[in-house]
Amino acid sequence: MKKLYASIVIVLLVSLRLSAESLTQLEGSFKTGPAIILIATLLTFVLVGIFFRAKDPADYYAAGRKISKVGSGMAIASNWMSAASVLGMAGMMYGFGYNGLAYVVGWTGGYVLLLILMAAQIRKYGKYTAPDFIGDRYYSRDLRIVSAIFTILISFAYCVGQFGGIGLMFKWILGLDYSWAVIIGSSVVLLYTLISGMIGATKNMQIQYVIIVVSFLIPTFIMAFKFDYFWLIPQIGYGAAVTDIVQGIPAPNISNGVALLNAYGHDLSIVPSPEFAMPWDPSTGTTFFQWMAICFSLMVGTAGLPHVIQRFYVVPKVTDARWSVVWGLFFICIVYWTAPAYSSFGKLLSSNPEVGVLAKDAIVVYTAQLAGVNSLVVGLLAAGAISAAFSTVSGLLVAGASAFSHDLYVRVINPASTPRRQLQVARIGTIIMALAVTIVALLKLGLIAQLVSVAFSMAACTIFPLFLLGIWWSGSNRTGAKAGLFAGILVTTISLTYFIVGLGGGRLPGQEFISYWLNVWYFAWIGAPLAVIVNIVVSKFSAPTPLEIKRFLAEQVHN
Amino acid sequence: MESSDQFNFSLFRPRNLHGRKNRNVILNMLLVWAVAVFGFQILLRIIEKPTPEKALADFNSVWPDATVRDLKTVNYQTLLNSLILVKGKNMVNTDDQMILNKAISTITFSVAPDSLKSKMLSEISEIKELKSKIALSDGQEFLDIKSSILTLEKGFLENTALFTGLKSGSLEEKIYTASLTDEYPAALSDASLDRLPEIMKLYLTHNQSVLTDTLFLGFPFHYFYTAIFLLILFIGLCILYNVLIEWRLKKEGVTE
Repeated sequence: MKKLYASIVIVLLVSLRLSAESLTQLEGSFKTGPAIILIATLLTFVLVGIFFRAKDPADYYAAGRKISKVGSGMAIASNWMSAASVLGMAGMMYGFGYNGLAYVVGWTGGYVLLLILMAAQIRKYGKYTAPDFIGDRYYSRDLRIVSAIFTILISFAYCVGQFGGIGLMFKWILGLDYSWAVIIGSSVVLLYTLISGMIGATKNMQIQYVIIVVSFLIPTFIMAFKFDYFWLIPQIGYGAAVTDIVQGIPAPNISNGVALLNAYGHDLSIVPSPEFAMPWDPSTGTTFFQWMAICFSLMVGTAGLPHVIQRFYVVPKVTDARWSVVWGLFFICIVYWTAPAYSSFGKLLSSNPEVGVLAKDAIVVYTAQLAGVNSLVVGLLAAGAISAAFSTVSGLLVAGASAFSHDLYVRVINPASTPRRQLQVARIGTIIMALAVTIVALLKLGLIAQLVSVAFSMAACTIFPLFLLGIWWSGSNRTGAKAGLFAGILVTTISLTYFIVGLGGGRLPGQEFISYWLNVWYFAWIGAPLAVIVNIVVSKFSAPTPLEIKRFLAEQVHN
Repeated sequence: MESSDQFNFSLFRPRNLHGRKNRNVILNMLLVWAVAVFGFQILLRIIEKPTPEKALADFNSVWPDATVRDLKTVNYQTLLNSLILVKGKNMVNTDDQMILNKAISTITFSVAPDSLKSKMLSEISEIKELKSKIALSDGQEFLDIKSSILTLEKGFLENTALFTGLKSGSLEEKIYTASLTDEYPAALSDASLDRLPEIMKLYLTHNQSVLTDTLFLGFPFHYFYTAIFLLILFIGLCILYNVLIEWRLKKEGVTE
């Protein structure tokens, strides 16, 4: 173990030394320093993955239940903080102002629901995967199969945004075409997941968390210091930058007699831009309803995401499940308090017409570049963003592969399969899914945060109601669950159909109405409550839940 | 014999005292959570008022006359400034930017002396051509083109400073030069500029209230509340829930 850590440290130190000697070009070319940091980081992940690789299905699915609550909290945070958190969220605030904050609140507030309504109860129920729970609780093979399929679809939708983020960062570092960058990045993340499984992934997630946080925080201290904001706590210091954006800064902004300039030599100045901070500003094209719908959908989706729920199977005790949520949320918030700082500094630094509007999904890296932050630090930031995408993708691929292997293959297709065969099937599932995601990611269907929010709405409409009622109401039965799931799937299908038709330039009846009220980024605002109501109503009028299920819930899950 | 009803359970109908206390904690937490998140946004919505920026009032005071007759130079300058302030916002969409560019160019040529107009027009065309080349260049070629653009812009601004009233070296001046186009309507009354008042209203009106205008730790208060405080509250709620639940479990001697 010590040898492993020593070799990791040596690899990182050598790469830092080498990369310090090279300068970052601004755009469109191979960047030596960031590339070395990226390779060193990936090498570290692979080493850890090999060292802690899965030896049997229990290890592959649930890390052998050997993870502590703080470790699990770090893994939750790392698993959670994807390219959407590190790259996409700041991009949403940069592009859509206050409405971007709906993502910050939605992706953190959901953890309160997760803790209060789910975490400990899921651990007490004692199943490995979401379809396991649903199949068992609703005593239905059909529901197990459908929920397994939706687990795969949700993981798939989530992965598309991540692969897009990985592609963007590989493109920035390697100076490649986006398509090649996606293909190379996808191949690396697939290789890593295949050799590590979840136990390696869980260890890696802890390392990835440290890399994400360190790489994400350092540039904000530098930028706040450089542009004369309160740099000791940049998460507070950027508040004055928000106010400066609202009120405008006439050029030149002087600090200690020296004009503050961006990397292109432009004064740090901006015309009054209240639209950046004012709620649902008309000029951003967003509305109050959309803020509420996005926030609600993301919150409920958080509590229904299979790969998030799956984290609670890996903790040894019920109390650890509860505290791991708190630790996870705290670790997540460190990054979420910081992300708006990037959008604010990005807004200030790109206010000069010569810089122009920056690509939203790359705003984090561009902001650090424009601020003239050392190329080494910007490279580390890009590596951190890739780490974020990697950690999430590995968790998602494992969740998807688990659903394929454990819930479909073992439970439905071949119950007599050996553990070795199960592991093989899990790995084949991982490869198929990664290939399919790569193809969709190449289509660039939307911004990272938006693509990811589709997965949240899907989870909120399908998995969340089954868990919520399955845990908290013994009266919810198989028929009700099927009806509720059907309602959730119906809303999901309508929204996705209109979205896909709209993308192709087509029009269906009520296209504008559906595109606004059942938008693909937030359709769960109506889909999730509808699925819950249908489940309750149908359960009331159908055969009751069997005695043994009620008894198990009452005695084991609720003490 | 065991009855099915004996094990009936729901969040709202707990089976014992422990369950009732649990339910109360959960419902109270959910209430605080919902009010803090959604209640605050609803409050923001209720008390907000569409508030125009000063530039919109400036624009509205001049625009009606500008479409029917020639204005004094100072009024053109007011109009120009208000248009530049909108053009400088980097949330303006491409179509609206084109209209703003046209209006800015029309005003420029309305104010400029006739003797300068042809020179200005050729300089704008030259700058436009160089800007299209710079996007495809790198290295020394990039630096040379950049230098040529700066020289041309400097000369142009020296010639126009007297009637545009823009401060030398200001951001407004940079936005102005970036907006000029050689394809512009002859008068502000042209149909292609009909949407201008609508565009100005869109980008210069914001939903403001006492919650957005009050500063707290440097932030507009509502921004601090949503971006910083709510996250602290979420962590606080989670800790409180865990402490309460575990304290109760210990007190009641329940082992999980």
